[in-house]
Amino acid sequence: MNIRQSISLIDLQARMSLKSEASRLYLSYLWWVFEPLLFVGVFYVVFQFLLARGQENFVLFLMCGKIPYLWFSKSITMASNSLLMNKGLIAAANLPKIIFPYISIQEVLYKQWIVFLVLFIVATYYGSYPDPIWFWLIPLVITNYVFLLCLSLIAAMLVTYVQDFRILINMGLLFLMFASGIFWDIHDIQSEYWRNFVMTANPLAFIIDAYRLIIIDNVLYDTQHLFCLFIIFSTGTLIAHKLFAKLNYSLTRQVLQS
Amino acid sequence: MTIILSAKNVGLEFKIREGLFKSFRHQALQDISFEVARGETFGVIGKNGSGKSSLLQVLAGLLAPTSGRLELPEGPIKRSLLTLGLGFRADLSGADNVILSLILQGFSKQRAHSMLSEIQEFADIGEYFNKPVRTYSAGMRARVGFATGVCSEVDVLLIDEVLSVGDAQFKQRAERTMLDRISGQQTVILVSQSPAQIRDLCDRALWIHDSSIKEIGEPGHVSRAYVKHFELDAPTNSI
Repeated sequence: MNIRQSISLIDLQARMSLKSEASRLYLSYLWWVFEPLLFVGVFYVVFQFLLARGQENFVLFLMCGKIPYLWFSKSITMASNSLLMNKGLIAAANLPKIIFPYISIQEVLYKQWIVFLVLFIVATYYGSYPDPIWFWLIPLVITNYVFLLCLSLIAAMLVTYVQDFRILINMGLLFLMFASGIFWDIHDIQSEYWRNFVMTANPLAFIIDAYRLIIIDNVLYDTQHLFCLFIIFSTGTLIAHKLFAKLNYSLTRQVLQS
Repeated sequence: MTIILSAKNVGLEFKIREGLFKSFRHQALQDISFEVARGETFGVIGKNGSGKSSLLQVLAGLLAPTSGRLELPEGPIKRSLLTLGLGFRADLSGADNVILSLILQGFSKQRAHSMLSEIQEFADIGEYFNKPVRTYSAGMRARVGFATGVCSEVDVLLIDEVLSVGDAQFKQRAERTMLDRISGQQTVILVSQSPAQIRDLCDRALWIHDSSIKEIGEPGHVSRAYVKHFELDAPTNSI
């Protein structure tokens, strides 16, 4: 199977999965819009209505953190189970195994654009209008994608070999939810050393902060830092591709024995 | 006679883990050697757990042998394992599943769409073809799966005990198609537990027992040896 066929297969499978999911739900594709809107609704009720948090744009602040995090965590969770979930298919067709995590990642990605659209609408509501600096969201979203792609591919491989990793991945995602500044601002860390440490050691914290800088403050993030992340995770993705190709038969055996 | 597939001392071993430090080795195939010529219908018979399905998975290229090797001629040889819609997504229609299956087999999207009407006609399940697979009976699912497998042009068609599923009318149709294919240039590797099926449909056969070859050769002879061994009454018209 060549690259063109693989891309066409990944795209079609991801679309079919979304179609299949929509056919099971009464509200079908409408959930694509309702899900992010419900998130906003819940945040609004809890943080602005019940807790009366002073910050005027706290809902927007939360959404800028929660949306990239959900994209990241959904991709990793779905991709990590993707090979074991497709045992029937793996037992019947000789396919490059990397296709399966990619299908999960694309499936989440295809829903993501509408989530971002909702985010932009909410941003406008809070007075953050699109500015030329918003074009810097493009390299940010691409790096965000490459980052979750690299980790999802590694997670898919680890879980296929040792299913215990699934528990560790869930723990790791929970830890990242608290350690990436979703509900709080990274800049509230008083110590400069620890603030820099969190930003450097946790790419998700940097990415979330970068979304906030652009959307809320109309300020450009550290482009050099983003470029470094892009290079690191692109290299990681390439290595993961090589590993998947090398372990193709070994992964099949592992799935068939599971 | 062109050899399309040749197994040389093929062995397959699984290491099955039971706990952190506990695992055991299972020898699924041991020292299997045979050749299949282009256009030949080659039968594989054996009881449950003898290694038939593992052999088919090695022949389909899904698993690499842990010892020995599988030799194929130069150039792309399209091998397809015929399943009865096992990988079908229940929430998608038969038509969508057929398109997916064909693309999984390596056909382009356009080619898959152009093959759809022939498959729909062969499956013969009426308007259900465009309804979700979850509304299908087991027989209907088998029909669509079988139709997808036989209508696609592959060099080697690997069939795993599929002719025993479905109603009488479908079985007849499946057998007719098999015979059409056999008389044509299609290479078929048929796995079955039915000695009559092996005897009637195959040019040559192999009996696999406890992961190794017990008999190989003329299908009548192999079927008789198999029946004698298990003291089975071979049904004369099982298809």
